[in-house]
Amino acid sequence: MRILLAFLVTFPVWGQAPAAAPDPTAAQAPAPATAATPTAAENPAPSTEPWFTGSVDLGFRWITGVEGSKDAYRSIIDLDQGPRLFGIDFTIQDPKKRLFDRIDARGYAWGDPYNTAHVEAQKNSVYDFNFDYRNIWYFNELPSFANPAAPNGINENAFDVRRHMLDASLDLRPGKRIIPYLDFSHSSEFGHGFATWLQDAVNEYVVPIQPRESTENYRGGVRFEYNKWHATLEEGGTTFKDDEQASQSGINPGDNPTPFLGQTLSLNNLQQVYGIRGDSTYSRALFTATPTSWLSLSGQFMFSQPRIDVNYAELASGNLALASSLLFYTTETGLATGAAKQPHVSGNAGFDLRPWKRLRIVESWMTDRYHDAAFGMFTQFLQPVSNPQAILTNSLPNEQVVNYNQQQLDVMYDLTSKLTLRGGWRYVWGNATVLAGQLSQSGSFASGTLNRQIGLAGLTFRPMQKLSVNLDYEGSSSDDIYFRTSLNDYHKARARARYQATNSLMLQANFTVLNNQNPSPEIRYDFQSRDNSLAIYWTPNGGKRFTLTGEYDRYTLRSDIAYLDLTSFTSAISTYHENAHVASSSADVALPGYGGMTPKLTFGGSLFVSSLSRPTQFYEPMGRLTLPLHKNVSLYAEWQWYGMGEALYLYEGFRTHAFITGVRLTR
Amino acid sequence: MTLPLPATGRRLMLLAAAVLAGLATGSAQQQASAPPSSPDNKPASYMGSETCQTCHEDIFKAFQQNPHHAVDKDKKRGFENNACESCHGPASKHEESLAAADIRQPAKLAPAEADRMCLRCHQNQPTHAGRIDSSHAKNQVSCVACHSIHKNGPRGLVPRTAAAINEQCKGCHTAEWASFQQPYRHRLPEGAMSCVDCHNPHGALLPHMMQASRGNEPGCFNCHGEKAGPFVFPHAAVNLEGCGACHEPHGSANPRMLTRPQERFVCLECHANLPTTTPAATLGTIPPAFHDLRSPRFQNCTICHQKIHGSYINRDFLK
Repeated sequence: MRILLAFLVTFPVWGQAPAAAPDPTAAQAPAPATAATPTAAENPAPSTEPWFTGSVDLGFRWITGVEGSKDAYRSIIDLDQGPRLFGIDFTIQDPKKRLFDRIDARGYAWGDPYNTAHVEAQKNSVYDFNFDYRNIWYFNELPSFANPAAPNGINENAFDVRRHMLDASLDLRPGKRIIPYLDFSHSSEFGHGFATWLQDAVNEYVVPIQPRESTENYRGGVRFEYNKWHATLEEGGTTFKDDEQASQSGINPGDNPTPFLGQTLSLNNLQQVYGIRGDSTYSRALFTATPTSWLSLSGQFMFSQPRIDVNYAELASGNLALASSLLFYTTETGLATGAAKQPHVSGNAGFDLRPWKRLRIVESWMTDRYHDAAFGMFTQFLQPVSNPQAILTNSLPNEQVVNYNQQQLDVMYDLTSKLTLRGGWRYVWGNATVLAGQLSQSGSFASGTLNRQIGLAGLTFRPMQKLSVNLDYEGSSSDDIYFRTSLNDYHKARARARYQATNSLMLQANFTVLNNQNPSPEIRYDFQSRDNSLAIYWTPNGGKRFTLTGEYDRYTLRSDIAYLDLTSFTSAISTYHENAHVASSSADVALPGYGGMTPKLTFGGSLFVSSLSRPTQFYEPMGRLTLPLHKNVSLYAEWQWYGMGEALYLYEGFRTHAFITGVRLTR
Repeated sequence: MTLPLPATGRRLMLLAAAVLAGLATGSAQQQASAPPSSPDNKPASYMGSETCQTCHEDIFKAFQQNPHHAVDKDKKRGFENNACESCHGPASKHEESLAAADIRQPAKLAPAEADRMCLRCHQNQPTHAGRIDSSHAKNQVSCVACHSIHKNGPRGLVPRTAAAINEQCKGCHTAEWASFQQPYRHRLPEGAMSCVDCHNPHGALLPHMMQASRGNEPGCFNCHGEKAGPFVFPHAAVNLEGCGACHEPHGSANPRMLTRPQERFVCLECHANLPTTTPAATLGTIPPAFHDLRSPRFQNCTICHQKIHGSYINRDFLK
């Protein structure tokens, strides 16, 4: 961080220093053709090339104040006002190529709730190093997602957490054929929020929590890359810990204001601690080969064995009750231990056969199977006011066994050079044993099977260079599925067309439909979704004065499925219907210039309007004016509006303006 | 078993028939558009990259920073000093005629031909291990559809920043991009994530070209590691149907990117309390509780069943 700050402080000085450096995009722009000189050919990295190029965007954001629900605004947008480093991007090249040939670094949105940094360093034939860092803040507090009648308006599912993720990888290149590599990644989440402490089924209490979890992943391996074959061997490991805590002091009446057997229940104090520790090792082998020009082979095998150790403790006091025993008590101590182990094997193999030039046959098979074996014990010590201590113990060995298999055959035939037909078949089968859904903590297991035959068809049609059409269809009739909402008898089709109308105009259209039916009388599942989209990319005159990209999407979704209405104990239909229009666009206009510099106006944004089950409008229009002051300095001003409204949840609507002014320095 | 063909299916069939009807014309055009055979039947020969530089100075200079510049040293495949011609083919005739028709233009090749050209060198690399199964390959999305050899800056064969990657993917996947314009979404429009964080465009072991985490787990757990388990009490839906059983992974109008606007219906559509008599759909249908769903206490199940992805303590996901 200090290095970054030091760099930021000194960067403007570099940015404004007179430099003979060309625009860093010059490499992409057509340069006037000049006669080649032997010197240029022998010295491909001319010494005039700058050792440092880059840009930095610094600015300030103003928010006019959020009208409506600030919590909903923070849950969806969460941009605040203040100074920001909107972007930094630089490249350092070492002409003498000592420790590195070049370093590319970039970072975005520093100061906002999602900031990123990325560094790539390389030295040809020696190493490639990549580092990626992200810091994402998640805030979520939506009344519609909680109990809106909760006392004190506290939202049980609210949280305000940060997630840090970083990944560092190093590929070593001592030779061209054998490439050792190392990788480390880290992901963690911490912050605070609210959760529910349940006390039997009588009452539930909202308590503040502190999520604390992290995962580290280490892996290393060797890649062997030869002309006819390749193999990768990798070993990895993972560690995981979850130390979530909850604490509460003071009288908490809970969600249920109704007295239980004449007594008002409350939670006065709570300490709750999770101590979850996990680790895993895994092995991976990957193989590809091309023994002949008409045959390719590939296969993977992976084995992992994650395990978890569980320690949990809670200490609660108040006026608490156990409904099943009609027992009132003042103190509860709960201790839980457990362990889970999950050997997991995955593999796939396939070949790509081209017996004739026009025919391609692809066969693949994969399996994924694991067995989660676990044991948990939870003991509660309940101290009634006048009775002896009651001890409740629940112990349960548990397992979950899942075997999944898939085989697929695809045949592709080039009927002409412009038309390729595809046909195929996929067979998916498997079985699973899981805990049955029952109220009892010591319930039985349930087993299910999966058996699905799927027909595949499609074509690719390219009647001319400018037009391509893709059609895909799959239809299935399933004998066995796991869940009521699983794909059963379904048809899925997709059409995609792309047309380059002129050199400056491209059109793209997509159509997708999914129809899934389960006519079983207890299920009566009827699902259909359609999605039509059209995109336009227009760059008249090579985009010198104006460019436009626009996308419009229209989708409809209809889902009906039977369930038991628990208020009347009769079969009812759960209905979810949605019609939505989505559009996004961006236009760049080059304004009349001055002194060889061209101001630019950018405008666009997105809108989402849906109706029926959850009518929602969500708008994000924006406009931006960029004024170059110098070849290395430009100012910009940006306006963006965020607005959301929901007809059924008016209290979650919000709207606000955001203004940004900033400076962009380049070198 | 015969399935009724929906109206959409019939339309597709009609469209397919129309396309097939145009094939004869297509074949005729194909013959007509074939390049005229050169009067000189002598095969073209390699001229060397420096010859190309004479006219294509700008491209040549930019290419010196390009990863493919290493091809200029590839003796094994015979490309030494012929990096340009390793993709564009022998250039002697083009040098004489200066005609575009006398040089291979990979961007204008049929996808299979373009891929074959790239895979001469890139076939046996780990990136392409899933390529056989990838829908990109089956749909003839060729390498050069995404990898632009001369563009994307000096280092780039593909865009490097999240925003630029998303821009490229949405060029075809407009419907998916539309999902990200909804209020509850992964942070792609903000540039904090990119499509390739979750999908491997070359292909993958998992469906939907999903990236993997920890060897063979879905890539979702790269960020949401606490939901990976193993749990003492796993929620079967997570493992059997994946995150998509309850969430719209790209974006949704519903909070927490759920598939339904009211959380209880996400749960009740499976846990419907209606026993099934058919062999299909046997898991999760008969639980559990008979809460009074009219009470606001019980309208959002995860208020109590808060460890819904799996619990270390409680079978009902309460702790």
